[in-house]
Amino acid sequence: MASSNAFMRARYKYFPDHLVGELLSKRWMESAVPTVILVAVFLYLVGTLPNYLTPVNLMDMGRLYAEFGLVVLAMALVMIGGGVDLSIGSMFALCNVAMLSLINMLGWPLWVAIPSVLVFGAALGAINGFLIGYLKLRAFLTTLVTLIIYRALFDIVLQNFAVEISGGFLDSEVWDFIGDGDVFGVPSSLIAFLIVAIGGHLVISRTRPGWHVMAIGGARRSAYNAGVAVNRTIFMTYVVSGILTALSAIFFAARLGSAGSDVGVGMEVGVLTAAVLGGISLGGGRGSVAKATMGSAIVLLITNGMLRMGMEGGSSSVALGVILLIAVGIDVKWLKNRHKIISKVYVSPAYLDLPSAPSAEENSGTPYEVNNRLKTVTAIGLGKLEGPEDVILDHNDNLFTGTRHGDIMKFSGPNFEKQEVFAHIGGHPLGMAFDPDGNLLVCVGGMGLYGIKPGGEVYRLTDQTNRTWYSVNDDSRLRLADDLDITPDGEVYFSEATIRYEMHSWSLDSLEGRGNGRIICYDLNTGKTRTVIRNLLFPNGICTSFDGMSILFAQSWNCSISRYWIDGPKRGQVEPVIPNLPGYPDNINRASDGNYWLALVGMRTPTFDLALKMPGFRRRMARRVAPDEWLFPNINSGCVLKFNEAGEILDVLWDLGGENHPMITSMREHKGHLYLGGISNNRVGRYKLENADPDWVGIDTYWGKPK
Amino acid sequence: MAVQRSDQNSVAGSRIKQFIKSLNAAWFTQERIVFAIAFILFAAFSVSLNGFFSVDNLINLMRNVSVLGILGIGMAIVVIGRGIDLSMIAVMAVSSAWTLQLMQNGHSLGLALLGGLVCALSIGVINGLLIAFVEIPALFATLATGIFLYGVGKSTLLDLDVIYLPENLGWFEEIGKGRIGPVPMAIILCGVAMLAAYLFLSKTRFGRFIYGTGDNPLAARITGIPVRVIITAQYTLASFIGFFAGIIVSTAVSAMNTRIFHSTMIYDVILVVVLGGIGLSGGKGSIRNVIVGTLLIGTLLNGMTIMDMQYTMQNLIKSLILLGAIILDSFLHPRNEETAQQGDI
Amino acid sequence: MFKRNTIKKMVLGIAMAATLGMTANVAVAEIKDELRDPYLASFKGKKVAFLPIAMGFDLTEGWAEGIRAAADKYGFEFIIRDPNWNTNAGTQALTSLIAEKPDIIVVHNPDVQSYARLLKKAEKAGINIIQVNMKSSYSTNVYVGADWVEMGEAGANEMVKRCGEGSGTSGKVAIIQGVLTGAASVYQIEGVMNVLDKHPEIKIVANQAADWDASKAKAVAQTVLQQHPDLCAIFGFWDVMTLGAGAAVKEAGMQGKVAVLTNGGGNQMACENVKSGVFDKVWSYDVPGQARDMVDMIKVLFQSDSKPGDMRVALYTPLKVISKENYDPSICWSLKK
Repeated sequence: MASSNAFMRARYKYFPDHLVGELLSKRWMESAVPTVILVAVFLYLVGTLPNYLTPVNLMDMGRLYAEFGLVVLAMALVMIGGGVDLSIGSMFALCNVAMLSLINMLGWPLWVAIPSVLVFGAALGAINGFLIGYLKLRAFLTTLVTLIIYRALFDIVLQNFAVEISGGFLDSEVWDFIGDGDVFGVPSSLIAFLIVAIGGHLVISRTRPGWHVMAIGGARRSAYNAGVAVNRTIFMTYVVSGILTALSAIFFAARLGSAGSDVGVGMEVGVLTAAVLGGISLGGGRGSVAKATMGSAIVLLITNGMLRMGMEGGSSSVALGVILLIAVGIDVKWLKNRHKIISKVYVSPAYLDLPSAPSAEENSGTPYEVNNRLKTVTAIGLGKLEGPEDVILDHNDNLFTGTRHGDIMKFSGPNFEKQEVFAHIGGHPLGMAFDPDGNLLVCVGGMGLYGIKPGGEVYRLTDQTNRTWYSVNDDSRLRLADDLDITPDGEVYFSEATIRYEMHSWSLDSLEGRGNGRIICYDLNTGKTRTVIRNLLFPNGICTSFDGMSILFAQSWNCSISRYWIDGPKRGQVEPVIPNLPGYPDNINRASDGNYWLALVGMRTPTFDLALKMPGFRRRMARRVAPDEWLFPNINSGCVLKFNEAGEILDVLWDLGGENHPMITSMREHKGHLYLGGISNNRVGRYKLENADPDWVGIDTYWGKPK
Repeated sequence: MAVQRSDQNSVAGSRIKQFIKSLNAAWFTQERIVFAIAFILFAAFSVSLNGFFSVDNLINLMRNVSVLGILGIGMAIVVIGRGIDLSMIAVMAVSSAWTLQLMQNGHSLGLALLGGLVCALSIGVINGLLIAFVEIPALFATLATGIFLYGVGKSTLLDLDVIYLPENLGWFEEIGKGRIGPVPMAIILCGVAMLAAYLFLSKTRFGRFIYGTGDNPLAARITGIPVRVIITAQYTLASFIGFFAGIIVSTAVSAMNTRIFHSTMIYDVILVVVLGGIGLSGGKGSIRNVIVGTLLIGTLLNGMTIMDMQYTMQNLIKSLILLGAIILDSFLHPRNEETAQQGDI
Repeated sequence: MFKRNTIKKMVLGIAMAATLGMTANVAVAEIKDELRDPYLASFKGKKVAFLPIAMGFDLTEGWAEGIRAAADKYGFEFIIRDPNWNTNAGTQALTSLIAEKPDIIVVHNPDVQSYARLLKKAEKAGINIIQVNMKSSYSTNVYVGADWVEMGEAGANEMVKRCGEGSGTSGKVAIIQGVLTGAASVYQIEGVMNVLDKHPEIKIVANQAADWDASKAKAVAQTVLQQHPDLCAIFGFWDVMTLGAGAAVKEAGMQGKVAVLTNGGGNQMACENVKSGVFDKVWSYDVPGQARDMVDMIKVLFQSDSKPGDMRVALYTPLKVISKENYDPSICWSLKK
């Protein structure tokens, strides 16, 4: 039993279950299937075909790839915008024959002929664009018809001029360079392709026109309502598609100089296959340049590879058909089920063995015995507040608290009757503290660490820290900054509860029992952010000790308070203060008698403590049971504790009925009163403390009394 | 007298008004536009072209498009069910060529026909399974199975690109070559197929289910229609029709050239269907639309042939007229951001 | 074919046995065929690649069969790249063949231009090129195939004979070419014009390309027949394609009135169609004969160690005529399969 327990402990400690879900939720995992196919095909070809990795071959492949890739990019652009262009094969053929006839038959110089052909391609595309963008014809049908029209034009031209067109042979170094040249071993056409691809990527992902195309493809009606010039944008996608196709045709013409009648026949099939295989969806909105380049690489490698393996025309068709089906099939299933898989495997419980909880029952003899002292709490802003996680008061008895709506509210007046919005931040404000200059520093869930000047002006302190090189989830962004405090040196220590869940799903972290949180330090003097302690179990409240030598911090899921030395001989060490609480600790704040207040947001239950020792059970639960039925820690009723530097419990305040202040996440002592916040409450509670210093103001213990 | 007259006037006036009212855009369905164009062309050709309006020529006209019409039926069924079948030409070519091949290899006619039929139906079933169960977009599934079937045909089933029909097969040859009275068998078979498809689509439960599936697959599923079975069935049916067309073609010219797979014929079939007014978004249209689309193409091709246009020029003019028809349709039924379906290409 | 082969083998075997016996008996004389050993050695480790327009039709299958038989016998390697009627795929195949460096590439050009640059490149890389039937505009060491100009002249002369002065016909003829830029079309039409220029009474009412495709040929023929019911002859540049035109003639009920002339590899199909009257005359360039020419040239190249550009050899295939008058099924050949 013991050995199996140790085994389980080790297994959950070292086996990175959580990485599965994190890897799956990466955006680039969308392209996982095509990538695997690409690599597999390439390795297979390298293994089977002789001389595959020779520079000569790679150069030849590069040329083919560039020509094909340009056309796939053209198709991809149109498809991302929600259309399709079946006529590219015919456009390609027309542009090819135009190029050859301009230079071979009419003898135009290259510097005139090449731009002319590009313009010609643009014009062909513009016809499609006009019909589809402005006249709003259906893309599929329209380009099907233009496919036939352009092909018929091509046939007519060829019938009359074929021999003249292919008879000539332009003897020009520039032309040879375009068709056959290279720069340091990189074929000329591949260079052009790379330039277009990188440019295209920047345009699609970084510029307004690119976003417009994505927006139209993703939600045409919304794009229209948002004021995007839908018609013009669609028109332009076809024009650009025409230009890219013309460019590809120019390279083709330069390479082969052939005006064969079958140029471009059936090209749309290969191109469409490449685009879809790469992950560009029919119907628009999903796709990127990278996907197009990958798809074209796969199709080119497969078709070219089969040709070179000496496969008969028939067998290679069979193989192509089968590969196409398998690839698209897997891709379809993958895209459809990826989110299902993520939602099943993302929650990855670990093993956590908590000592048994001290009792809080009446007459149990522990310091935690329940009482009903919070019965006398009065409410501030009842019904006008939602989710005041933390409260803080300044010298002028103004009370500040955050709300779920992203505002900092300010209550003033003798009984806090006057309510106003002090500042609007946007994210849910959690922990708060005043800095020496009287600015209010706030941890904002989902955003980071922000400051508010006394006039109400919001400014950002930090929203990122250094990224861990081995992390899969991007842990540089601050997901859930929770509570903070400031040291006399001007260092802001703040906790980030978890790096695996967002603000709205923080409670899922409780099922994991893994150290997903951390404490981060922001230096007000240098403006630098660094991560101080990692792998904490939902670090929550933070409070600088009175001597300024250490900070106290709470870890909710393992129910403990620890001390981190920031100065003195133990600097950098962490030591336990209260190792085993009966509930889940939240914020810690200073009390007027030199001790500390601590809020317990909820009480532990034997069931959940047991569940924490059974990660397999929680994993099954997360996979098979609906989230509403999951076993969660109790975070409904708790209490306020007072403890001293040694970690001894001095006092405890309960609200038995749970009516006045059911769930407490924070408390702040101010002039003989204790102000209570709760993240799911609709009020701030005010409790009259007996035997407390009626003039004590919390900030003064940090920065002294104002002069 | 005068009173009467004004009455008449007003009656006539209101009738004209009514007529004008009835001429609103909704009346001009694409089917009617195409039919009107076909009719105008037909009238114009009849007047201006020598030898157009003769029995022989009209029979010729219809015979030339009968195969296209038959393939159009299969495509129409699939398109009504919100799909598309790009493998039809491959099925037509390979399955019928295999029938010929089997006969050349010395098998009996019955066995050969069975072989071709099994070949066609299995591709249909595969299409259906891939689309209905694996949920691969129809465009791709059928594109890939078409390539696949052509490849299998070329590499294993068939000796050569062109397979010739053995001689002396009696009634079998009559399928493509025979006549009943002056009317070639191909036209009659096309007519029979259209009638059967019409009855199937409009009178049988199964046919109505295809409409339901095509109109709104999710709703159809909730209603209890076995959507996946319907989809599989519709592709199987299309493949069967492909095989049928293939038999007519191969008996008519005594050979089957599998390179027809590389031609633009599949696009012609789609055009016949879509031009006739069957929307690619599914759920709408009937066999009437196929007839109208086929007639337009047939009239055009025949007229241009008589005018001695070059083959390539014919293609150009044909496609320009097709383009004209869809542009006209878009003017009468403008699509805008409000009516356009997302992902409807 | 099988029989013939076994007979060949038997003869060979007897011959070898005889020679062996001789050397045993007359060992003293030491008379030896000096050429034979180097001849057989010249094939060792050699590689020949064949790049047709497509496999799967009589010409290319016939050629491949001929070369393969030689390869099996002499032990050189023989590979085929099948671009399946796709010129672009063909250029890819040729490009990769150049990288693979076989000793000889047998190329069947789809048109006069597409492969020209690549052939030049291949020769630079030291690969000997044999061009078959369809020449590129770039000439290489060897050309084996039909003399298309002669072929065109023969067809034209036949048309003149049938439709020219004194024939009592309209003098209207139709010409159906293949791919216009293909060598077979370019040179054949030249031959046709050589003759017809001297015969103004022959009117060419249609001269169209059907891209070696029977269904296109059929469409073209239908058009022409409808417009010119008094057509005298159709001359198609390849029998497999012209079959479509023949079908159109048959459908129109004009068999016998319109002469269908064509040429091709002399496959069994041609004979059958001459017999059934679809074709009136077929000039055959006898594919097995061409295959032997190719094998001979391969042997020459192997033994002579000649480099690309060393020679310019053309082996024009002698033509056979197949018509009802001289019909004999043995003129034609068929694939083994």
